[in-house]
Amino acid sequence: MARMKFLCDVERCIDCNGCVVACKEGNQVPVGINRRRVITIDEGKPGEKSISVACMHCSDAPCIAVCPVDAIYQREDGIVLVNKKTCIGCGYCFMACPFGAPQFPSGKVFGARGAMDKCTFCAGGPEETFSDKEKRLYGQNRIAEGKVPLCAAMCATKALMAGDADVVADAYRKRVFARGSGANAWGWDKAYGKK
Amino acid sequence: MKNNYFRFILPVGVLLVAAIAWAGSPQILLSPGPGPSTASFASINKVFTGDWQQYGQLFTTWQGGLFNRIFLLVLTVVPALFLLHFIVIGPKKFSHGGRQIKFFGVLTRLLHWLAALALSLLVITGLMVIFGKLLGGGSLIMTGRAVHLIAAIIFAAAVTCLFLIWLKDMLPMPHDILWLFIMGGYLSKKKKPVPAGKFNAGQKMWFWLATLGGGVMAWSGYNLYSFDGSTDQLRQMAIIHNLLGAALVAFFIIHLYMSLFAIKGALTSMITGYKPQEEVEILHSRYKI
Repeated sequence: MARMKFLCDVERCIDCNGCVVACKEGNQVPVGINRRRVITIDEGKPGEKSISVACMHCSDAPCIAVCPVDAIYQREDGIVLVNKKTCIGCGYCFMACPFGAPQFPSGKVFGARGAMDKCTFCAGGPEETFSDKEKRLYGQNRIAEGKVPLCAAMCATKALMAGDADVVADAYRKRVFARGSGANAWGWDKAYGKK
Repeated sequence: MKNNYFRFILPVGVLLVAAIAWAGSPQILLSPGPGPSTASFASINKVFTGDWQQYGQLFTTWQGGLFNRIFLLVLTVVPALFLLHFIVIGPKKFSHGGRQIKFFGVLTRLLHWLAALALSLLVITGLMVIFGKLLGGGSLIMTGRAVHLIAAIIFAAAVTCLFLIWLKDMLPMPHDILWLFIMGGYLSKKKKPVPAGKFNAGQKMWFWLATLGGGVMAWSGYNLYSFDGSTDQLRQMAIIHNLLGAALVAFFIIHLYMSLFAIKGALTSMITGYKPQEEVEILHSRYKI
């Protein structure tokens, strides 16, 4: 089975934030929650670089390890999803995550955190596929439709790639080879290790 | 004509060479073009992952199995030891007749029971979060978290008052070391006077853990609730809150056993405010009646 991965090409990302807008709008993400962020280093200086990061859907995901209620699970294709009905909003996954992916809306009781929300790789959630509930809680299910996630689909410079790990890695390897500068994709060592 | 051509091209050529030399200075040629990615990866790491290997990894391994094992150990070993104590040595019995000695005032007792109720809720809801897997998570545990918050506020208020009321009697004394050496006389069936004032060393340990430790719990708990501060800070708070919480649960169970089972009728002193004379003479031998 294919293993889904994200890859952001630092040399191509131009900080347009299109991926952030596409994700927020397309998945109707609540206010104050950003499933995907773009950060820029050395802004306005020589060597400026931008990168778009969301949940990396890690192989040995630390969020799954720390969840006290087993609300987070990994699909066979590597996509890490959260069950919002089981989540208690304790925030441990945020503390364990190396990418700052888990986000929390403020809940109804004393402003305490509500259930965690994060990138679903546009693969919906544990609810019935294409159901209203799934759309309301988790957003679109583009993977079930055979499409890549919104963010990667709309990326103008094709800096953000998503899909089968082997295909993505191969495309990136060709780019690196053509550019003549060699570097592994950012975050892959942390997120995927040797898998 | 040829002369004219040279007269024109020479200054242009000189200008071009000068321009190239000027452009060669690092300020101009270091455009934001493709630079070494690996160097920028390090800067990106600082923003996203930070020093994940330091506290992130520590928190992940500890929360991923250590914390709930510590709590399971506390919940099984401590009661098991007390069951053994109850069977082998048994509870202390004192005659409840005779002179009754005033120990706790009305306000003290009220505050104590308020703190007791709040702490019981804190322990129950805290354990609900830790063993959330067994309860299936969801709204039940979510409600537990809300109760944890309310109980914490009540506990903090009640314990602050108790801290001020009991502070003088709870200061450590030299005879507390003697008390610790004989474990308060709980390891023998004999009724020998035990070195202790109004409160014994065990009670003092519980007092300081509940007040100062409770303060640390409130501070770390508030940080975890508000979720302000750096991720590393939150990780440290979660570690402190869990480890100190385990110590508090252990002492909570000890306190329950001591008041409910270890000394027959000890509970009545916190209800009526009076202790029987014989009990005071043995267990609080240095208390000036």
